[in-house]
Amino acid sequence: MKKNQIDRVWRWQITASAAAALLIACLLGVGFGPVNLNFGSIIRTLLGLPNGLENEDRTLLLELRLPRVVLGALVGAALATSGAVYQSVFRNPLADPYLLGVASGAGLGATIAITNGGGDLHALLPIFAFLGGVLAVGATFLVAGRLFADPSTLLLAGIAVGSFATAFQTYLQQRNSAALRPVYSWILGELTVANWDVVKWAGFYIFIALFVLIRISKVLDALMLSDEEAYSLGVSPQKIRLIAVAAATLATATAVSASGLIGFVGIVVPHLVRGLTKRATNRSLLSIAFVGAAFLVIADLGARTLLSPAELPIGVITAFVGAPFFLFVLRARNRGSQ
Amino acid sequence: MFKKFTRPTALLVTALLLAPLSPASAASTSTKYPLIISSGGYSTTIPKKPTRIISLSPSATESLFEIGAGKQVLAVDSLSNFPKSAPITELSAFEPNVEAIAALKPDLVVLSVDAMKSMVVKEALEKLKIPVLMEKAPENLAQAYKEIEVLGAVTDRSAEAKKVTFKMAALIKSIVNRTKKTVKITFFHELDNTLYSVTSDTFIGKVYKDFGLVNIADKAAGADSYGYPQLSAEYLLKTDPDVIFLADAEYGESAATVKARAGWSGITAVTKKNVFALPNDIPSRWGPRLVDFYRYVAACLTKVKK
Amino acid sequence: MINIENLIVRFDNAEVLQSINLDIPVGTWSCLVGPNGAGKTTLLRTMLGMQPYSGSIKYNGREIAKNKSLNIAFVPQRPSIPAAMSVAEYVMLGRAKLDGWGKESAHSRNIVHEMLEATQLLGMQSQLVNTLSGGEMQRVLIARALVQEPEVMLLDEPTSALDLHHQIAVLNKVEEIKATGVTIISTMHDITLGAMYAERIIIMQSGRVLLDGESQSVIHSPELRSAFDDRISVHKLENGRPVIIAAKRATGLDQGVI
Repeated sequence: MKKNQIDRVWRWQITASAAAALLIACLLGVGFGPVNLNFGSIIRTLLGLPNGLENEDRTLLLELRLPRVVLGALVGAALATSGAVYQSVFRNPLADPYLLGVASGAGLGATIAITNGGGDLHALLPIFAFLGGVLAVGATFLVAGRLFADPSTLLLAGIAVGSFATAFQTYLQQRNSAALRPVYSWILGELTVANWDVVKWAGFYIFIALFVLIRISKVLDALMLSDEEAYSLGVSPQKIRLIAVAAATLATATAVSASGLIGFVGIVVPHLVRGLTKRATNRSLLSIAFVGAAFLVIADLGARTLLSPAELPIGVITAFVGAPFFLFVLRARNRGSQ
Repeated sequence: MFKKFTRPTALLVTALLLAPLSPASAASTSTKYPLIISSGGYSTTIPKKPTRIISLSPSATESLFEIGAGKQVLAVDSLSNFPKSAPITELSAFEPNVEAIAALKPDLVVLSVDAMKSMVVKEALEKLKIPVLMEKAPENLAQAYKEIEVLGAVTDRSAEAKKVTFKMAALIKSIVNRTKKTVKITFFHELDNTLYSVTSDTFIGKVYKDFGLVNIADKAAGADSYGYPQLSAEYLLKTDPDVIFLADAEYGESAATVKARAGWSGITAVTKKNVFALPNDIPSRWGPRLVDFYRYVAACLTKVKK
Repeated sequence: MINIENLIVRFDNAEVLQSINLDIPVGTWSCLVGPNGAGKTTLLRTMLGMQPYSGSIKYNGREIAKNKSLNIAFVPQRPSIPAAMSVAEYVMLGRAKLDGWGKESAHSRNIVHEMLEATQLLGMQSQLVNTLSGGEMQRVLIARALVQEPEVMLLDEPTSALDLHHQIAVLNKVEEIKATGVTIISTMHDITLGAMYAERIIIMQSGRVLLDGESQSVIHSPELRSAFDDRISVHKLENGRPVIIAAKRATGLDQGVI
């Protein structure tokens, strides 16, 4: 009887491996940096055991490196999961989390914050970026006409809203030249000086969004079928689409407001996980989240150490990995369909 | 009998009364640590005399060396190329890597307010018990002198700092007075070949203003709130400036390339050969080489034919 | 019995389905025919619960909208083909309503195995769905619908994208399914083929049912011709099978070069 069974579609070992990969990535992330710290002492400090690091070294580990690694993991998980969800919702393997105008909206919000200077920019910028991102997606739904518009309409509306936001942002930058450098620096993405405050609020929103997404991850599979088939299986695809897009937008807007625009994570990681595990359903979402987190932590490690003491913008590293990856995916698809 | 002592006594009394006012009395201007000083809009506490300074501001680097604090400087950022003897490193002035900075174990970091996330960098360094002095781009000469004097106080070289600023002020004053023209001369300061310029609200603009020059970019001030409007070729042709200063010479612009631009060959500055390429860096530093900038502009102006 | 009574569906203030009344016996194959825009697909979608409607649609006396345990499977004309999903994964999706999404019980895996075998897809279970030919894809869609263990199966133009060989294969398969007691409702442009397999034909035009009844009698009815504006003619082959072909009316163009 066992021989007749169809192969298991999912295995728990896949998720476990992804979680292990994240753990290793985090250990590497806290272990390396311009300042050389004894690895054993690092572990002892993290576990709260005696004979750990002292004074400035301890501060360096706990107040600088650790929050940075944690933020990298959060942002990586948020972007990868949102990307995977968007790929399901739009039935497009090249969809990324910035599709519906989140990136342009957040960029506009950030530019408005930077060009209106004054006050505590450090605290204001994430709020403006977040609002910008969320409002842009709201505008996309408005432009699309209906809350339950079909994917291609939403896509076009997203492009329109994104273009408008970018145009407005460029205008603001033209009129405020001193803002150019900080805005572009932000756009390239950075986890440079994460601290526990950022980790707290980013973590809060990202956890909520990821929780929702992983809860509905299995039902997301219905979006891979036509709407009629989804209904025949007892699912209202429009409702799922709306919830999925809302949660993914929350995750993406938070990630962008904490760390700027980091590209490619949202496209590359879902493909990587689905390709390696040879499974395309959304049961891989949790694994995608873990791998996305690990990916960004390692990329940030590269950003911090490759050209030390200068820092590479993290967007550069993800692009260097992502661009050739695209070619790989495209070639694999072409080969497959022949 | 007393008459013999009156004059020397008078002199002695005068000397004693005037002594505290003399800039050369080192004893009374020596810095007391811990020092709480305000700079760039922030307050910094410096516990002891710093001998391992990391400067992440090219202007501050120049000032530190000029006031004789060079021995106290441990490392400077990648753009601090003057003086040549400064210990230049790969550290970034605009995207500071906190860990890399901390790895060098400095006891003071000079950081520009314009650096990315400068506030957060400052907080992070201070958590590691490294004091941070913030530098803001000065809006006028007085502020520039103040910054040099702050560096002097911080490094316990106040007397030398005061000497440097006095000398700078005197030199600049004499340069300007020598060269100031009564005839109205209009000029265009070119930042790049897309014709971005500076208004008289900017530091550089004020330098030109000191010479009595008339800045054609002032009419376009509304275009940018920071004083860096973009002009159009038509506007250039219309206003027909007498002098053109090129700040983009390091990007390939010169009198020849300007002349070759369509329609530019008729501009007065071009026909009268009053197109001057500014040296690299100097216009963007507000340390002791400000004097060199004034000198250079003065030299150009003496060559100007009207 | 499927009883449709006084079904009205409105779309943007227009009545897309105007007071439909139908009785479809369980275990039969009914074919919906009619010109484009007649409302055939809308009727199917309404049965799936995608459109609000007034009136009633009952299956064995219970309103289907309230009957959560009723399984109605849908085989689309143009499937949405997810990239990089294997045949087994795709067919397994059909078990979602019965098992719960994302769960795959041993029972489900057996059923999927059986259905893949029945549709000659077992050898291709690991192959990616986007590498299949049209005929293979149609078999996958049917397998996915079958694992739902449906009481009713709706097929939207099941043969439009296929060559003749595969058209026959698919329709034969559907006939086998019908034999197990599933009620089949399909829309088909090719009335000849539909008449070959379906016991009942329902003629629709402009949101109305013109006629419904046994294939043989409906085929030869004047209502069929009028539904297509008299542009078809119905012939009988020697063995009695009806053949419907487009009729060319005399128009002024006949005289021309066209």
